[in-house]
Amino acid sequence: MSKLLIALAVIAVLILILVTFYNRLIRLNVAVDEAFAQIEVQLKRRSDLIPNLVETVKGYAAHESATFEKVISARAKATTATTVADVAKADGAITQALRGLLAVAEAYPDLKASSNFLLLQEELSTTENKVSFARQFYNDNVRSLNTAVKTIPTSFFAPIAKVSAREFYEVEDPQSRQAPNVKF
Amino acid sequence: MDQVSFRGMESANRRKTYLLLAGMGALVWVVVFSALTYFGQSTVGIVPIAVGIALISVWGSYYASDSIVLKMTGARLLQESDNPKLFNVIQEVVIASGLPMPKVAVVQDTAPNAFATGRNPEHAVIAFTTGLLDAMDRDQLQGVIAHEMSHVGNRDTLVSAVAATTAGAIALLSDMLTRMMWFGGGRRNNRDSNGNPIALVLSLVVLILAPLAAVLLKSAISRRREALADATAVSFTRNPAGLRSALEVLAADSTVVHQRSTAVAHIWIESPLDARSVSKLFATHPPIEERIAALKAMENLGPSK
Repeated sequence: MSKLLIALAVIAVLILILVTFYNRLIRLNVAVDEAFAQIEVQLKRRSDLIPNLVETVKGYAAHESATFEKVISARAKATTATTVADVAKADGAITQALRGLLAVAEAYPDLKASSNFLLLQEELSTTENKVSFARQFYNDNVRSLNTAVKTIPTSFFAPIAKVSAREFYEVEDPQSRQAPNVKF
Repeated sequence: MDQVSFRGMESANRRKTYLLLAGMGALVWVVVFSALTYFGQSTVGIVPIAVGIALISVWGSYYASDSIVLKMTGARLLQESDNPKLFNVIQEVVIASGLPMPKVAVVQDTAPNAFATGRNPEHAVIAFTTGLLDAMDRDQLQGVIAHEMSHVGNRDTLVSAVAATTAGAIALLSDMLTRMMWFGGGRRNNRDSNGNPIALVLSLVVLILAPLAAVLLKSAISRRREALADATAVSFTRNPAGLRSALEVLAADSTVVHQRSTAVAHIWIESPLDARSVSKLFATHPPIEERIAALKAMENLGPSK
């Protein structure tokens, strides 16, 4: 009788452990999915701003067509990306193209003073911040998930939960590749 | 090395909060034990009464903290159309933190300051004085918002409610027992059974000093939560320089938020009480120079991954 009780207690504890770690892994995995969805929402927002921005700049700097082309083609390419690596690549291309466009705008004082452009600039800088925070949040979540998948004891449960390590969102950006400032 | 990174800072401050809360718990036991030593078994009934009163008075204000604090500070809720730029910066931090969008309020006051409240992230309110919104640039504002959102994410309204409840219960207990002492109740029945004079004197000292110790612990917890919020803010923005220069603006500004109600002093980003008149041990915030130095140390680490 008492042996049976002990066996039942052991089984109950084992099930409890399994459920706890299984749920933890699933939760982390879902958090990564949600964080990725957030990146896509912000990228969509930025993509929606582009036509308006290009039109506004065109009004003052019509002959800078090469810069416009770059932004528009980068935007078009982004619509077909689905995997993390592809989305990140397209995202990096747009970020760079937009930076070129804003650099062009610097040379036109009339444009910079126009109220429409000022509004767009605020929208664009907040969207750019939102995109980069969404990337950071995604990468933090991937970091937690990957740590859980690779460390004991959660690593034992990863195959059962069908959860595996996920890819970081890495943007090719020459500006962020610069060596950090060293202060002494 | 790890002590200076925001992750190291966060876990160190979390650990210290747990220790301090454990200290609070231990203090309650010491008080109860002293009461039993001094007055005997008959006082046992007082303990649940004191804890009950403290619970009811604190938890009501915890549950309705969002509306009560808004009323006490005279803050007015904002819509997105009132200040789109402020909402943009808040939404950025919300994305970085993964928390739900809080309600946003503004307090008409020229002194730059801000606070966060609400019983959980779903009922969070963050508020800024008009003075702060005028004085801060985008990076500084982002740092302040990240600090307030850190309070929301770290559930500091709950932590301070727990601290206030225990401190309140200890104060009530000690007050009730010292009153009983003057009226000579309780002790008389036990004079023969429990006569160790040293134990009696010790427990009397404990009963008198306990409320003071509780307030000190409560202030220490508040200071640790402020330091924690600074570290968490950096984990959101990865930009210690923004919050650091915001704190420098606050440090340089000598104006003080008009309502000097000590009841809500702990919720502001910078203590609204005159720092010089309050001893360091009772302060609800770490000295602002100390916070600036901690953020500078994080800046010197360079960009963190």
